[in-house]
Amino acid sequence: MFESFTKEARGAVVDAQQVATGLRSATIDTRHLLVALAEGEGPAASGLGAAGLDPADVAGRARTAISEGEALDADALAAVGVDLDEVRRRTDEVFGTGALDRAGAKHGRRGRHVPFTDDAKKALELALREAIRLKAKGIDSTHLLLGVVRADCPGGRVLEAALHDAGGDLPALRTAVERAGRAA
Amino acid sequence: MTEKTLVGAAAGDDPTEGLRAVRALRDLADRLETLQVERARGLGWSWQEVADALGVSKQAVHKKHGRRI
Repeated sequence: MFESFTKEARGAVVDAQQVATGLRSATIDTRHLLVALAEGEGPAASGLGAAGLDPADVAGRARTAISEGEALDADALAAVGVDLDEVRRRTDEVFGTGALDRAGAKHGRRGRHVPFTDDAKKALELALREAIRLKAKGIDSTHLLLGVVRADCPGGRVLEAALHDAGGDLPALRTAVERAGRAA
Repeated sequence: MTEKTLVGAAAGDDPTEGLRAVRALRDLADRLETLQVERARGLGWSWQEVADALGVSKQAVHKKHGRRI
């Protein structure tokens, strides 16, 4: 499907792979794609800016989310008598602040092929549909970003959190990104 | 979900809550294992010593942790 990507969008996919390699992730998910789009020079980053978001902040949030892995289930642990705050206090003391969160990141083996997760593949498919819907000639970085926004995925949740803190919302982001795509 | 309704979940009679508690414990245990193994290796422990302490084979512990340390 990559033949219908613009050169710039192909670059974003390659960058996402490099982000995953750099962070030693076992897979490439929509957060890696979001880092690549936000740190890129393309219209997707302009769209984020037009929606009131700081692309560097979005990229930073996505990188943090990747390196922290999934959150521990504090309620379920409390139910069986484990006080997660107390555990965290002790691990911070012995292993350094944030060690317990960092230990939750999924690492891949060096030099091994890093595959896309199903939700990242889904986001790429949705990007194709967005490009068709918007009658674009090819899939560019704004369509990739719209794909991430539309997919129910970790990258989308990073965007939602950033929008929430910036006082924005997803419909406004979609509009700004579509406009950035038309201007490109 | 309140803490009260979850009390005793891992040993309780509702599979949904019980399994959720088991998963949370496993996740926590995995992270603590990662931190402890890294530290032990940093302090000069051999893979065999780490494996003995965890009660698993040297191969198993090396396969699980060898790539990140």
